Amino acid sequence: MSRSGRFAAWWPGGADPEEGHEPDARFTFANERTFLAWSRTALALVVAGLGIVQLLPPFPGVPFGRHLVGVPLIVLGAVLAIVAYGEWVRNQRALRRGDPLPRSVMPWILAATIAGMAIVSAIVLLISALR
Amino acid sequence: MTSPEASESGAGDPEESDPGLARERTRLSWTRTAISFAALGGVVLKENVITGLVILAVAPVIWRLGRLSVSGSPPDQLPIVSAARIRVITVSIVGVSLLSLLVAVLGPSVPGALHR
Repeated sequence: MSRSGRFAAWWPGGADPEEGHEPDARFTFANERTFLAWSRTALALVVAGLGIVQLLPPFPGVPFGRHLVGVPLIVLGAVLAIVAYGEWVRNQRALRRGDPLPRSVMPWILAATIAGMAIVSAIVLLISALR
Repeated sequence: MTSPEASESGAGDPEESDPGLARERTRLSWTRTAISFAALGGVVLKENVITGLVILAVAPVIWRLGRLSVSGSPPDQLPIVSAARIRVITVSIVGVSLLSLLVAVLGPSVPGALHR
């Protein structure tokens, strides 16, 4: 491999023509579609976060309640896009080498963050209802 | 994932007899992604016209990238062409997220807009 270290993990080394062999184009396309699906999920999170901050009525008694719920969703959108790129690179490299596909961390990130946001939302709503 | 042996047998899966379906599905996936950008641009447009227009302008670019045929590329260039497109999407989403964050934090909110 011509590139090494941490940088290589984020560079499309899977596209390094000298490494491995060209995978079946259908697998390349499938990998690309998976990335695009995660991209749309990221965009949906950004839209949701923006909608919460800009359109919802303020929570009584919780001055920054809308920002507390909406801003992390927007940040998660950006994080998902970056991690999805890293996963696409790793998958493409594994396809070239004929290795087993690496385990994805994306569902874990998404599930953990959504669960966290659900708890935060419930707390904000409870505080607002008790006021 | 289909094993190489199964790919060569070509039995059962319609995609085995017509690999172009994978390309078509991928192209449609790009179109859906472009529509998602347009939807986000529409939401931001209500709050900040210039930012909304910038995000809306990304949508046709994404759509055009999806139409780029990689079929004519030499086999060893297929992933490279693909990687460039993937990077454009990633950079676009990160940029759009930052713009949305600015609009969300600094922009004037419309409290209770959903109730009107």
